[in-house]
Amino acid sequence: MSLPPDNGLAGLTELEAQAMDHALGAGNRAERKAAELRLLSDPAFRAAVERWQALLSPLDDATPAEAPPPAVWQAIAAEVAPVVRAAPAAAPPAGFWNNLALWRVLGLGGTALAALAAALLVLPAAPPPAPPAANAGPSLVATLADSEGRPLLAAAFDAASGEVRFAPVAAPEGGAGKVPELWVIEGKNPPRSLGVIDISAGSAHAIPRARLAGLKPGAVLAISIEPAGGSPTGAPTGPVIATGALSAA
Amino acid sequence: MSAAALAALLARSAEGDAGAFHEFYNLTSAKLFGIILRILPERPEAEDVLQEVYVTVWRKAATFDPARASPITWVATIARNRAIDRLRARPVGRHAPVEDAHDLADDGPAPDAGLAHSQDVARLNAALALLEPRHAAAIRACYFEGATYDELAAREGVPVGTLKSWVRRGLIRMRGQLQEDAA
Repeated sequence: MSLPPDNGLAGLTELEAQAMDHALGAGNRAERKAAELRLLSDPAFRAAVERWQALLSPLDDATPAEAPPPAVWQAIAAEVAPVVRAAPAAAPPAGFWNNLALWRVLGLGGTALAALAAALLVLPAAPPPAPPAANAGPSLVATLADSEGRPLLAAAFDAASGEVRFAPVAAPEGGAGKVPELWVIEGKNPPRSLGVIDISAGSAHAIPRARLAGLKPGAVLAISIEPAGGSPTGAPTGPVIATGALSAA
Repeated sequence: MSAAALAALLARSAEGDAGAFHEFYNLTSAKLFGIILRILPERPEAEDVLQEVYVTVWRKAATFDPARASPITWVATIARNRAIDRLRARPVGRHAPVEDAHDLADDGPAPDAGLAHSQDVARLNAALALLEPRHAAAIRACYFEGATYDELAAREGVPVGTLKSWVRRGLIRMRGQLQEDAA
């Protein structure tokens, strides 16, 4: 950004400019997607956006309120009512993968939870518990959502076994000859491939431990659609269909 | 309705308390619907977005952090972002015509004054009033109508870079003014 020094914007950092643009909502579609991805991976950016949102929020009080028709609540109630979110009394520890509280953290409910339960039933038997590595990090979970925020896929990383597993929530859009590839974005580093994955309904997937070393909360998982065999360039080449930040389970 | 009371309702919603969530909806939905309607004036579309917003709020209630934002700012931001994303997803050329930037003074007090921080509104309006009128109008058009820099630059007949610097400079001056007020 090379702006003349006398326009009152000297010293405006790129981060701050992008943060105010995003809080104001002025970006085009591509700019907004870029900002959303950065929100997930850059805490300083997120804090800057939140500061601008707080500064601008009194403007909302100047917008006339308008009561929505009752049908809106009825439609919402139909989606939220069946969700059972109370954790069941903890029976003997059920293990990481079928810990309901874990999946609850992922924010999945209702039919999604039912579908997930079905998916969990077909998971291969857990490998014999490996002795926890001395420096095994935390177990991590992420919900990968599409650009509209609809959850597409739940991912869970078990530090003890060093595996990542997926449970699909909705069928991702693929295409003939195309495969989904999983990426991890750590801080401002370029996306690192975790390999081509199979996220078809009911399947689970394990990724070699070596690729997962050092995964931490805050890293972002992203899935792009690539030619068969994976990205030919080592960077995502196809559309990114879902992203989600890892958090501690 | 205080921020603390709204935050408490969100916390109960996060525990699965649908009654608390309904109360939260009753207290906040008119405000959010107003925000969405200004960006998406067609009611069926605005209602659809409002529904999506509350389903999202229900799902994400456990992630709300009162140390980071007030509950009403949190949900209003979700509503604005969803409405703007819907607007941006339209094919180019099918955007609703953007009305002339609103004069905030015409709006009168918000009907849900219980949620309003009238002092904050007054201070923000005063800070906006100190800006060049075209700069303030551009800020309002972005925030209230979801206009893009590109659209506003075309409307004003100036390069996009110029429009961006109007808005960014305006926001920085506003922030400075608000900080002075607070000092």
